Amino acid sequence: MTSTVAHDVGATRAARSAARRHPLTRIGGWYIAPAWVLILLVIIVPVVVSVWLSFRNETLSAVDSKFVGVDNYRTVLGSADLFSAIRVTAVISIATLLLQLPVGFLLAVVLHKELRGTRFFRSALLMPMLLTPVAVGLMWRFMLNADAGVVNGLLGVIDVAPVNWLGDRTMALFCVVLVDSWQNIPFVMLLLLAGLQSLPSGPLEAAEVDGASTVQRYRFVVLPLLAPVALVVVMIRIIESIKLFDIIYILTQGGPGTATQNLSMLDYRYGFSFLNTSQAAALGVMMCVLLVPIYRLWVKATR
Amino acid sequence: MTVQTRSSSKVGAYAILVIATLLALFPLYWTLLTSVRSRVDIFADPPRLLSFRFLWGNYSRVLNDQRFRDSLFATVTITTGGTVIATVLGTLAAYQLARRATFRGRRPFEAVLIIIRALPGIVLAVPLYELAIKLDLYDRPIAMMFVYAAINLPFSVWLMVGFIAGVPLELEEAARVDGAGELRTLWQIVLPIIRPGLAATTIFVSLLCWNEFLIPLVLADRTAQTLPVYVGGFVTSRTIDWGAMAAAASIAILPIAILTLLVQRQLVSGLSLGAVKD
Repeated sequence: MTSTVAHDVGATRAARSAARRHPLTRIGGWYIAPAWVLILLVIIVPVVVSVWLSFRNETLSAVDSKFVGVDNYRTVLGSADLFSAIRVTAVISIATLLLQLPVGFLLAVVLHKELRGTRFFRSALLMPMLLTPVAVGLMWRFMLNADAGVVNGLLGVIDVAPVNWLGDRTMALFCVVLVDSWQNIPFVMLLLLAGLQSLPSGPLEAAEVDGASTVQRYRFVVLPLLAPVALVVVMIRIIESIKLFDIIYILTQGGPGTATQNLSMLDYRYGFSFLNTSQAAALGVMMCVLLVPIYRLWVKATR
Repeated sequence: MTVQTRSSSKVGAYAILVIATLLALFPLYWTLLTSVRSRVDIFADPPRLLSFRFLWGNYSRVLNDQRFRDSLFATVTITTGGTVIATVLGTLAAYQLARRATFRGRRPFEAVLIIIRALPGIVLAVPLYELAIKLDLYDRPIAMMFVYAAINLPFSVWLMVGFIAGVPLELEEAARVDGAGELRTLWQIVLPIIRPGLAATTIFVSLLCWNEFLIPLVLADRTAQTLPVYVGGFVTSRTIDWGAMAAAASIAILPIAILTLLVQRQLVSGLSLGAVKD
């Protein structure tokens, strides 16, 4: 299996440079049109509607609604929930990265040794990533159940007192990080493995000839070469922890209290628990602002 | 590049692999085990990791539930529709990205794909719900197909661009010299060559559609309720029927996950915003 890393040869960039060289690649310009129509109807129109809603006082039960200016933004920005949600989102982003990057890298390195049985291990280790997040949340909720869960059951066997995993504020946040990591470490592993497999052999051989130890080879040759892939992984993980919804919804519903309520969960609350459509839209518009630095980072990572 | 392996580090590597595999598969094993157990075995203390009396009751309870069967049907329908739309539109767009060197609107299109990928579902769900109610599209499978297709379009485009770009231009050249049009060349030359890639794209997009939770949670009631929402419904009941939950979860997750495992090698570029190619 050969692979290429995109900071210099991205999928579309490779295509573009190949295309430039060949006179045949001047196909028509309409093939992209149907995709644009779909994006217009399902993404752009709703986002515009969202902005419109955010300046009105629409609720799910409102009969007559009117323009209220930036009131919704003021209300959302003034609520303690928002800052708690930002904190939870940040904690989840950072903690999942700190857990997933090292573990994913370790597994990628081990798989990269291509020992006998690697194919089996690779498939087995990928499994969590493919499972329905809702089902993953349920499985873990069942296993972490304070009274009857298998985790406390097994801890009981070695005489550890039962832990209130999902009922305690700190523990619950830890569990969200743990379950998200259980599901997503395979993704980090898969990408870093592809990155490892695409490394040029020259620098590594040179380092070996120069008598570099294994640790030195990883520290000074592999890690710097792997940095572009790692950057892509970090970016996607940040995107995913802002989007994270299913697992929290099932595992804790944002609780206890607001201990695990991230921005997505808070926005869902606004829209579908408090039934305040306009405030939900306002928070959604503010969340879109987060996309700007993410997009910038992507441009940097792939160009 | 290969890293040389000494036998001592080999033992360590296997230890890591075995422990990681146990951790990765245990929750799955435990769910499957729970799904074929009686209440007594499920709540045994200390937990029984191996021995149990085999029982189909949980499965028959779930399969006899009309709501489960409706959800299964809706999931298959919406997943199929969404996947077909996303794959067809994604392939057409990818063809242009791969085979037309420059065109106006390339950058905006590439940018919008990243934005769709990064956009939190709830940001879209709030206005979509409003629109669905106003336009009488609430709880309609057909509307959900298009939403599923749009949010998964980036994956199909990124995957297909990579596959199409890998087809040697000389093959298309021959067909074009023979007078075949662009679409016919795509259909008769390009797609047959990248059939494995097309299959991987289709399967991966199906997996994402199948697993989608927030959109059906918000846009569907009864007719268009999907399996993830049905399975998620177990948490809201006061006393959770864990056996039935495990059975429903097993049916919901296993077939599609195993199918995806078959095409794992082709997925890397789709997973990495097109940035890493495998």
